Amino acid sequence: MNLTTSSSRSVGSLSRRQFVVSSALASGGLALGFHFPAAAQANELSTLGGSEINAWVIVRPDDSCVIRVARAEMGQGTHTGLAQLVAEELECDWAKVSLQTFTPGQNLARKRVWRNMSTGGSRGIRESHEYVRQGGAAARMLLLQAAAAQWNVPASELKVDKGIVTHPASGQSTRYGLLAQAASRLPAPDPKSITLKHPRDWKLVGKSPRRLDTAAKVNGTLKYGIDTVLPGMQYATIKACPVFGGKLVSFDAAAIAKRRGIKAVLRVDDDAVAVVADSYWRAKSAIELLPITWDYGANAQVSSASIAERLREGLTSPDNVFADVDVGNVTQAIQGAAKTVEAVYGTPFVAHACMEPMNCTARVTAERAEVWVPSQNAEASLAALAAVTGLPLEKCEAYNPPLGGGFGRRGGTQDYVRQAALIAKQLPGTPIKLIWSREEDMTHDFYRPIGQARLQAGLNSQGELIGLHLRVSGQSINAHLTPHNIVNGKDRRQLQGYWKEPGESQLGYTVPHLRVEYAMRNTHVPVGPWRGVNTNQNAIYLECFMDEVARAAGQDPLAFRRGLMTQHPKHLAVLDAVADKAGWNKPLPAGMFRGIAQFMGYGSYTAAVAEVSMQGNDIKVHRLVLATNCGHAVNPVQIACQIEGSVAYGMDSLQSESSLKDGRIVERNFDTYPIARLYQLPKIESVIAPTYDFWGGVGEPTICVVAPAILNAIAAARGGKPVRMLPLKNEGLRLV
Amino acid sequence: MNLRRRWLWALACLGWVSTTRVAAQHVPERELLQPYVGTARIQRDRVKLELPRLADNGFTVPLKVSVSSTARSSLAVRRLLLLSNRNPRPLIAAFEFDETAPPPVISTRVRLGGSQTVWALAEMSDGSWWMDTADVEVTESACLDQT
Repeated sequence: MNLTTSSSRSVGSLSRRQFVVSSALASGGLALGFHFPAAAQANELSTLGGSEINAWVIVRPDDSCVIRVARAEMGQGTHTGLAQLVAEELECDWAKVSLQTFTPGQNLARKRVWRNMSTGGSRGIRESHEYVRQGGAAARMLLLQAAAAQWNVPASELKVDKGIVTHPASGQSTRYGLLAQAASRLPAPDPKSITLKHPRDWKLVGKSPRRLDTAAKVNGTLKYGIDTVLPGMQYATIKACPVFGGKLVSFDAAAIAKRRGIKAVLRVDDDAVAVVADSYWRAKSAIELLPITWDYGANAQVSSASIAERLREGLTSPDNVFADVDVGNVTQAIQGAAKTVEAVYGTPFVAHACMEPMNCTARVTAERAEVWVPSQNAEASLAALAAVTGLPLEKCEAYNPPLGGGFGRRGGTQDYVRQAALIAKQLPGTPIKLIWSREEDMTHDFYRPIGQARLQAGLNSQGELIGLHLRVSGQSINAHLTPHNIVNGKDRRQLQGYWKEPGESQLGYTVPHLRVEYAMRNTHVPVGPWRGVNTNQNAIYLECFMDEVARAAGQDPLAFRRGLMTQHPKHLAVLDAVADKAGWNKPLPAGMFRGIAQFMGYGSYTAAVAEVSMQGNDIKVHRLVLATNCGHAVNPVQIACQIEGSVAYGMDSLQSESSLKDGRIVERNFDTYPIARLYQLPKIESVIAPTYDFWGGVGEPTICVVAPAILNAIAAARGGKPVRMLPLKNEGLRLV
Repeated sequence: MNLRRRWLWALACLGWVSTTRVAAQHVPERELLQPYVGTARIQRDRVKLELPRLADNGFTVPLKVSVSSTARSSLAVRRLLLLSNRNPRPLIAAFEFDETAPPPVISTRVRLGGSQTVWALAEMSDGSWWMDTADVEVTESACLDQT
């Protein structure tokens, strides 16, 4: 058993979680576990009783290896995948591997030796595979060098397997645990001398060893941010102006001051008020009764209808539009076509709805500030803390427990970190755990941007697609969060999946006359990345429309797509793989209908086939087959898990929306904001079809094909009548 | 922070000077500095540039720059330039000083378009150039693709 947790979090009475832990401990040990950095005052990282070979690897006398991982874990398995990459080069025994995480302060103190700590953009593995493997390889070289020195033989004559080092010529043998101390004193090898294994020689990468964090989740030892307990801690909850952009005018603290457990009622920034109490429930109950006067500002009249009107204007207006792709003469081609098809699609704002609501625990004094925060980007949390408190980075620290769901909500912005720090700053020395209510979480999200798309297609007399004009009119994430990514007024990010260039998010079709445009139409609603980001809406627009065009051409949707994809062999291979697995050409039982979709995002190719049946307005999704080519598949079982998770998230977005009335979000909880329920989920089959020639993402790419595949199956079930305006309830439909 | 010393005798602050370069991705040092410094040799030590190593966004990043002079030196600072190797407009700000001004200390906030290196360049009254650089990690928004 080698589970260690932060010493600072072990205060408090025996919680249900701790009880589960005690029970689990009583019933036997675990070989693998997590090591969280103790809430150290200094930026020293513990070596956990072993020798630090380099920044990535600690080896203990018993041969167990601790691998350090930088990225945030929110269930996607990146910790296990990254550790596999290090262990592959290290040549250690996977059964003896555990993890150590560290803080952004520790990363900074060591000149960011572990580089980027953020998880997002499905970048965890595809961005860091090379340097983490180099870290593992460098550690192996040092361990072998230590053995070579001991035996006075050349290191090149040594062999190593699972941490056992042998010198075949002399028959000598030793193990990593015995070499660690000597190896830790050797200078790092010249980076140029590090050669990484060829993928065909991998023994651990490409296999699916069990995850390193599952046991702690199952037995209850894993501490999420919301589990943070500090001595003397108080609880805060918050209400921000319900209308985005509105201001806090005043509140009557006296009205709740005499309630039990209330410690403080505080202004937070210029748009929110927080209640601090000795328990979350007392804080929450009190804030519900707090008389608050808001200045709703100029946006109090905005509604879903007024936003829809604005987006409709953007579908045809010449103002504030740019064409990212403009091949041939699309207007002429469509005008001269034998047959034309036109449609307008729409997708709503959707919330992230993380299982663990936004929370952050902060302790601020004049000399030091700390936060315990589930964050996709602990370095951003640290920077936000420093900015709020005015303390230098060296006097701040952010501890990053695993996340109870992130999906982009906990990385794009640090709003809840800022709030917690602002509250704690007003109560110096008192640890404050800020927990958002579900209602606050649902109504103050950074939503997936709303959009509409107008698509026009022209077919020639042979039923071939000769012209495609696609315009997206909608809100821009970059305009809200990262305006520097808008170059010359062109926000290409909103056209994700339609790009011409290969590699990241390329359109998989070749059309002789093609024009892809974006009309930026922003609203006052904050928007941000939502797992899969703009591939989600863009795949729905294009892939549902492709089915409409195929129908107009009198062709099978798979065959029609295939005809346009000959110049995109990787897109095509994944589409073929999914069609093959789904048995696309085999007849279905009566009453069952199929839909297909393909798209690319985050460097990976994905496709899906859905099988649905329909009774009245009730839709049952029976089966989803999904395929992905993510280049190298580090841990196929984890990839399959991500695919399965993406089905649930994709199905959420079919049935939910965050709508607006009087400038504020209407859906405040799960009663009005349905997420996919277990009974709704279909049988899921995944096909992992790696081509081993690139590194693509896994966490996000497959979500975007889920909705269009299901929508195309629904259209087939409705005799070709498409669903163009989501969510499904707009058409009176529901998932059962 | 050094308020007493912030009695700047700055005669002009020519911020946000526009150039034709747009959305430069990490412009190499030589290419970045050449339009301002020409072929002059640039020395270190005299200029001190301070930026946080991490910023959670690039909207208003605190920046402090100072130029020191030694007792022996009668040199004054003529010009001070702040340059970015990633902003769409590389010249963040330019300050010009009267030669009777004391060594300047400037505290301000700047907008940075992503993780990058910032240069502070000082031209002295004898025409010599001095500089300092600082690396800033502007932490990324989640799920950002490779646009």
